[in-house]
Amino acid sequence: MRTLSIPIAFMLAATATAQRSNDQRNAIAYTEFTLDNGLHVILHQDRSTPIVCVSVMYHVGSKNEDPTRRGFAHFFEHLLFEGSANIGRGEFSKHVEKAGGVLNANTTADRTYYYEVLPSNQLELGLWLESERMLHAKVDQKGVDTQREVVKEERRQRYENQPYGTILLEVLDRAYDKHPYKWPTIGFMEDLNAASEADYQAFYKKFYVPNNAVLVVAGDIDPENAKALVRKYFAEIPRGAQVVQPDVKDPGLTSEVRAVIHDRIQLPAVVLGYRIPATGAPDYYAVDLVNRLLSNGNSSRLNKSLKDEQQKAVGTGAFSLPFEQGGLAILYAIANMGVEAQALEEAMTNEVRRIQQDGVPKAEFDKLMAQLETELVNDRSRIAGIASDLARCHMLLGDTKLVNTEIDRYLALTPDDLKRAAQNYFTPQARVVLHYLPAGQKQQ
Amino acid sequence: MTMRAMKHSSFSIFGDRQALRSGLVSLTIALPLFMHAQLDRTKPPAPAAPPQVQVAAHSTFTLSNGLRVIVVENRKLPKVDVQMRFDHAPLSQGDKAGVIDLFGELLEAGTTKRSKAQIDELVDNHGATLHTSPEGLYAGMLKKHMGPMMELIAEVVTSPAFPADELEKARTRMISGVQQRKDDPAAISETVGRAMTFGRSHPYGEVTTEASLRKVNREQLMAYHAKFFRPENGYLVFVGDINEKEAQAIAKERFGKWKPAKKYNLVDDNGIEDIPGYGPAHFLTTPKTASGARRVVLVDRPNAAQSVIRVSFPLNLQPKDVRHMAAQVMNTILGGGVFNARLMQNLREDKGWTYGSYSTLESDRFNGHFHTTANVRTDVTDSAIAETLKEIERMRMGRVTAEELDLAKKYMAGSFARSLEDPRTVARFALNTYLNELPKDHYATYLKRLEAITAEDVQAAAEAFLYPDNAVIMVVGDKRKLFAKLEALSWANNPKVIELDHNAERYIEEFERVSNMQSQDVIERHLTAIGGREAIGRIIDMRMDINAEMMGIPVEITQWYGRDGLFRSVAKSNGATLQEEAFDGERAVRRSAMGEQELEDRDLGEMQFNGYPVPELHYARTAERVVLAGRTRIDGKPVLKLVVMMPDGGSVGDYYDEATWLKLRRVEQKQMDDRSFTITTDYSDHQATGGVQFPRTIVQSGGPNGDVRLTVKSIALNTNLKPEFFATNLPERKEVPYVEPVEENPLQGEPGDE
Repeated sequence: MRTLSIPIAFMLAATATAQRSNDQRNAIAYTEFTLDNGLHVILHQDRSTPIVCVSVMYHVGSKNEDPTRRGFAHFFEHLLFEGSANIGRGEFSKHVEKAGGVLNANTTADRTYYYEVLPSNQLELGLWLESERMLHAKVDQKGVDTQREVVKEERRQRYENQPYGTILLEVLDRAYDKHPYKWPTIGFMEDLNAASEADYQAFYKKFYVPNNAVLVVAGDIDPENAKALVRKYFAEIPRGAQVVQPDVKDPGLTSEVRAVIHDRIQLPAVVLGYRIPATGAPDYYAVDLVNRLLSNGNSSRLNKSLKDEQQKAVGTGAFSLPFEQGGLAILYAIANMGVEAQALEEAMTNEVRRIQQDGVPKAEFDKLMAQLETELVNDRSRIAGIASDLARCHMLLGDTKLVNTEIDRYLALTPDDLKRAAQNYFTPQARVVLHYLPAGQKQQ
Repeated sequence: MTMRAMKHSSFSIFGDRQALRSGLVSLTIALPLFMHAQLDRTKPPAPAAPPQVQVAAHSTFTLSNGLRVIVVENRKLPKVDVQMRFDHAPLSQGDKAGVIDLFGELLEAGTTKRSKAQIDELVDNHGATLHTSPEGLYAGMLKKHMGPMMELIAEVVTSPAFPADELEKARTRMISGVQQRKDDPAAISETVGRAMTFGRSHPYGEVTTEASLRKVNREQLMAYHAKFFRPENGYLVFVGDINEKEAQAIAKERFGKWKPAKKYNLVDDNGIEDIPGYGPAHFLTTPKTASGARRVVLVDRPNAAQSVIRVSFPLNLQPKDVRHMAAQVMNTILGGGVFNARLMQNLREDKGWTYGSYSTLESDRFNGHFHTTANVRTDVTDSAIAETLKEIERMRMGRVTAEELDLAKKYMAGSFARSLEDPRTVARFALNTYLNELPKDHYATYLKRLEAITAEDVQAAAEAFLYPDNAVIMVVGDKRKLFAKLEALSWANNPKVIELDHNAERYIEEFERVSNMQSQDVIERHLTAIGGREAIGRIIDMRMDINAEMMGIPVEITQWYGRDGLFRSVAKSNGATLQEEAFDGERAVRRSAMGEQELEDRDLGEMQFNGYPVPELHYARTAERVVLAGRTRIDGKPVLKLVVMMPDGGSVGDYYDEATWLKLRRVEQKQMDDRSFTITTDYSDHQATGGVQFPRTIVQSGGPNGDVRLTVKSIALNTNLKPEFFATNLPERKEVPYVEPVEENPLQGEPGDE
């Protein structure tokens, strides 16, 4: 037997928050430039392993979707592996794997990210593939029909057939009123079933344009050569119309939203959701440190208090969803045998209240800083991780250099900032409270 | 569909688009036109000269107490990773399964000097990580925190305390985890799959349960530690910002005084050893290999969103086996990680049945195994199993193509190179070389050996390591929709579907005890709920007209229920009679295209039992016994189950909604054409006729015809049906004297004597 499994959605969200920058000694050196067609390019050289990562981040995610086509951005990500004018169905991955590389992609509410990690002598292959995808991707009906079924199975596997798998979906739906963050990136099958050829054409034309993308080439490269190759493959791709990000006023929760969700589980769980500032906003970092205070390491507040001391929970967590138009902090705990959801919720709320009332002792604050320092170093260990962090800083934070300086925003914080953030954002009057109960348990 | 089609002329499309952008036109158009003339996009660009792939060096030394130390120096980042590993053969846990997992978890939950809280704080305050396991531990830290962390690591490994209160906490959490498994299809598939692959008494197949966790005590944990955590058994690995000299100083300081134990004799000839404090343990000395017929194992997950499929068998593939490389190439082509593997291409990219299907060929010094995984939608479960087996068989039956072989080898070479990005890989290689007794240059020659693999080698490996005929086929999914389909998959001479629960035990429905009620109370409440004894008693006879669809054919069924259990039914399709049944109170008959058949024995008994509009009203006469099994759930609703035993020995299970007291379900076993079916009948949409509630929608599943949906069109009461209407028209029964079968013993008289 292994320990309790936490839903994949949580893991993804958790890793998304775990991308940080670095201290002086391990600063990431990069060069960046913009092609005439608007494609932003970032190059980073690291010759310690003979591999190269080629990646493209497009500034399109589920928040850019038509409300009647929820899930389209992610579905489209699947379709963009189908081929291009020069790459037949199924050949895209073959080119990469035959070259000894790996490829994948992922979609969030804010952006879609494609990448290949290849032996460094195959840099040009990676650029060719990504430029083909950007220039003239192609999908046939078999591809559309197959991927629609694949996405349905992805949804079933990751959300429906997974204990607590719907937590993220249920929180988002209640935390937002009008904003497209209300619906999950995986979307809804009825919307995907309704999608037609015109939708694909329009989506591709609107969002998959160089002026809405950032290309990162990182690893064992010669920057001058890489620059020439980038021009060779990407310069001819025509600029598209300017992409306008949605501007939806969604003022946030004005009261506590409560719901009981019956799931196929044995142990109840409690989930608390709070609206927080956008990723990159000054208070975002304070909120993120509050989450770390609550859940990072065995001595963190939720783990120590709820698991060890009170024995009310078998698993706990707290993390931020770093959305660019304002995200969420999500706290969760899975009840120990015989513990009621209500008691668990009180214990969680109590830990939040302790921060709001008593603040954070200096020693505990120093612990958070020590953990951050180690994490930053670890984040420098993989070239693929560095590439995605460069793209994130440029696209979602608006400045590539934050890859090295984002840490300063954490270091500038004080224990009082955490207390204040907890008071301002973790308010009991404006939160989502979900009780996950075993399907058979009747609501009293 | 072509997006931004290039068929005609890409320039005009670009031009049009650019024209909209005003001032940039001349500049941006000129460049692409020029570049485009240079660039042939139709073919992938050729690679540059391949880079050299180097496995970095490591150094090793051994302390005088036998502790072996491996050092991989890598100064790129100011951090050090530390691993400790204690090596021994896998051993059984017996009735205390879970003791080894608990040991791993509790190793860091207190030492003779520190409490768990103190350990947690020390680790977190230094921004470090520490994870203990039954085999040892992993820790990661910045170089500057090595001092206090190494002190802690040494303490954890040499003097853990296993505090009693921490054991109780961990036990409770782990029991919660066992409960959680019931609703985690992936965990069920893994746990039950391993149990069925290796066997429940094999160290790799033991299943941790609540009962077994309750048998764990502190003495066992202490004994396990004393037995296996010894310096002469151990490896200490440093990776990162550290050189050999520094490692030597630290190893000596922290572990130099650790006394080796007397070298123990591993095991007796049978692999059994009595470990004082732990109890008898069975060490794995002989690997289990694939044997026995193909089996289909089902763990029911009612209304599951998907079926989790796992095809597996045990095998003997050691990492040092010369065929190991060919076997891994073979598995890569079948389903091992590449997107272009056969399983992924077939089940996902061709069929769209799954998000992903993979195969794993796990080599292991003690016992390897193979398994595939796929989560598929329910209605293609049997097809997905068939395709999976087909792909496994295809690996054995023929050569892989040159393209497949090339792709797999290139991919594996690339993976090897990529893995070296992490300096811990070098340490892993070094440790593997020791543990698995690999040649010293095993990893140095990896790429060369990989390059030499041929399609013949791959097929030979498939023949040597794939055993589709002996596979365990595990399905976690919706039994009602799957059972008949899986039975149809059962290959000749194979046992039928084996149904297990989440602990790999025989499937037993779980009930909560109901203490305030008897079976008769349930029946009374049901009768009251549907209209009351009086209203039901006013029904003398009844005619029910039903629309149904069976295997795509619309069928109209009319049933007549007469006084005292008389019954008749006719099923028609497009005016033609498919089947008629009648019961005249004594004898019953069925007529269909198959001819006329008198229903006897069990069939007759069922007719007598079921031939009433409301059978519950007559249980006092028709049922042998009615037992309240307890409370369970249907779609989350609490229901009470009655098991009704018929005089002939058969039984049915009826489920009554505890809120409405309507009957929601009946489950019964039926024998048809020498096959046994578990038929589930769901009743819904109750409406009253003559003051009595009858279900208007009836769905039967699990039978030979798949799901059958019946819609009750109309019910007519008391139309004065005469007994003659129920005539069976069977020929007079010939009076054949009953013959008691006796043993042929002439001393007991003539056969036939009464």
